Amino acid sequence: MNDKKFWFTFGVILIVFIIYWLLGHPHFIVERVTMFYAILLAASMLIYYINKAKRGEKIYLRTIPGLKAFEEAVGRATEMGKPVLYVPGIVDMDQVETVAGVIILGHVAKMTARYETALNVPVARSIVMKAGRESVRESYIMEGRPDLFNEDMVHYLTDDQFAYAAGVNGIMMREKPAAVFYQGKFYAESLILAETGNSIGAIQIAGTASPAQIPFFVTACDYTLIGEEFFAASAYLSQDPKLIGAVKGMDVLKFMIIGLIVLSIFLRLFYDLGWINFDILKYLTIQ
Amino acid sequence: MFWKRQIPIAIVALVGTITLFGWFIDQPDIKSFVDDDATQWYDILASFAIFLGALNLLKLQMQKIIKRKKGWQYSIFAIGGFLFAITAGFLMRGAYTVNINSVGDTPEVVAQVMAEETEFTTNESEVLLGLIDDDSPLPLEKVYMTGKGVNKVANKIIASGASAEIIPENWGAHLTKKDGLFNWMFFKVFTPLSATMFALLAFLVASASYRAFRIRNFEATLLLVSGIIIMLGRVPIGSKISSWFVLYILALLLGVIVNSWKSNKILTFSTVGIGLLVVTIAGFYMGWPIDKPAFAYLPSLQEWIYLVPNIAGARAIMIGIGLGVFATSIRYILGIEKSYIGE
Repeated sequence: MNDKKFWFTFGVILIVFIIYWLLGHPHFIVERVTMFYAILLAASMLIYYINKAKRGEKIYLRTIPGLKAFEEAVGRATEMGKPVLYVPGIVDMDQVETVAGVIILGHVAKMTARYETALNVPVARSIVMKAGRESVRESYIMEGRPDLFNEDMVHYLTDDQFAYAAGVNGIMMREKPAAVFYQGKFYAESLILAETGNSIGAIQIAGTASPAQIPFFVTACDYTLIGEEFFAASAYLSQDPKLIGAVKGMDVLKFMIIGLIVLSIFLRLFYDLGWINFDILKYLTIQ
Repeated sequence: MFWKRQIPIAIVALVGTITLFGWFIDQPDIKSFVDDDATQWYDILASFAIFLGALNLLKLQMQKIIKRKKGWQYSIFAIGGFLFAITAGFLMRGAYTVNINSVGDTPEVVAQVMAEETEFTTNESEVLLGLIDDDSPLPLEKVYMTGKGVNKVANKIIASGASAEIIPENWGAHLTKKDGLFNWMFFKVFTPLSATMFALLAFLVASASYRAFRIRNFEATLLLVSGIIIMLGRVPIGSKISSWFVLYILALLLGVIVNSWKSNKILTFSTVGIGLLVVTIAGFYMGWPIDKPAFAYLPSLQEWIYLVPNIAGARAIMIGIGLGVFATSIRYILGIEKSYIGE
């Protein structure tokens, strides 16, 4: 979609929505209209920057040490002749973190294919196993090494949280992988995994959007992708302009949110002081 | 290519759009699709997929045993546990009870048998047996895991002169029946094993904390101090520590900072001296209340750390995560991210 098409589609959607609104907006939950506008605006920003990136405009992506270390970790495993262990979290594909984890797995698999290093991916959900296998298979084919691909690289352990932690710990203790990646959604097992990985001296790179587990990973791992960095990993590792554009869009949205927070503080202060009659919180609170 | 590429992208785009915008629409059909149907479809798919996982697990563990790979002995337990759980869940009821329908002519002998099988004494059993009539048989308050075991008991009761009937637990209900085979496996084997893994966290938190709290730089020091304040402020002894004691420590710490900054004995001594003097004068002036000034009282201080800097940081991370989730979803809906079809 070029810029002209983008603005045209945007305009059409806007006009259709205005007509729908003027016709009495049947079935629309009016209390959620602010959220609706926010989603439209955010989606437009993302599409705009994706288009910009597709046009070939140079977009600066700040260096994220954790992502730079991916290749270093796989390289280290290659040098040591040890496998790479990839843990894509313990939840199913209906969680976006697992989806992001499987996407990153594809990039890691490309590296292991390139360096001819063994890859071991124990999973806790059958659907993740299937998705992970497809992702790894494609990566090996793309790197021209389908001969190195083996279906059992991605294998199922168990659905249970602690049984899975025990299984992964067992793999770590027996195989002593040189690099361990934790990319996905984790709960209390995060520290059990990361501390075991630490005890075997593996280079560990974690990435999660589970706020409660971030401190554990920061403590026990060499690098941690925190929140948004984890979602930007795919763009960073692939260097695909479309994905990089989306990251840029996210950054711009972040600045807009900061601006909105500051503006809202002042507007609320003025409202409390009785200077204005407009309560911003009424619009910002999700109904 | 059409089936493998365009169709999946179209399904993702359509379902994603309906799910996203369904939140704004007050229409029962859309609402039920977003809230129930879509998730149920996923659950159905996941239920079928579990067979793939189970077969994969069995295959790999078998291979390990056959090829005598490192740690193959553990695979025996994995396969054994798997087969046992399948048997206890699907093939065996593992939960039988016995009903005594009538006592017969020798209630004292029946009571003796009942006392042997249950926790009741012979006298208590006799009283209970006396309550039996045609409409209300007496269930023996014991669950038997095997048909052989329950048959043995039923025969014993019948031999004592009573009439007894074996009641097998219904399929499905046998999983939750207390003292049944599956229930026993769950609570006596699985739960303690899970608890053991969970309990490891206590030791791992200690070792991780040790590494995190080691004073290496400013951030680690800040983490250490915050950690100590939070820990002390949340236990009963923390509320017994006077805020004046904390202020005296702060005055001494100020001396440490000044000393490492200027390395001047007179300046350090003056800072510490003035600090201690100010705290003492303020203490006499305010009457040494344990919880005043509040900023130096550990329970108040920990609450502030927890509610202000901690929440602020967590919210910043949450905003980033929210944006990341949104951007990833939009990339999927618009067909920009196609890694799920191998592109």
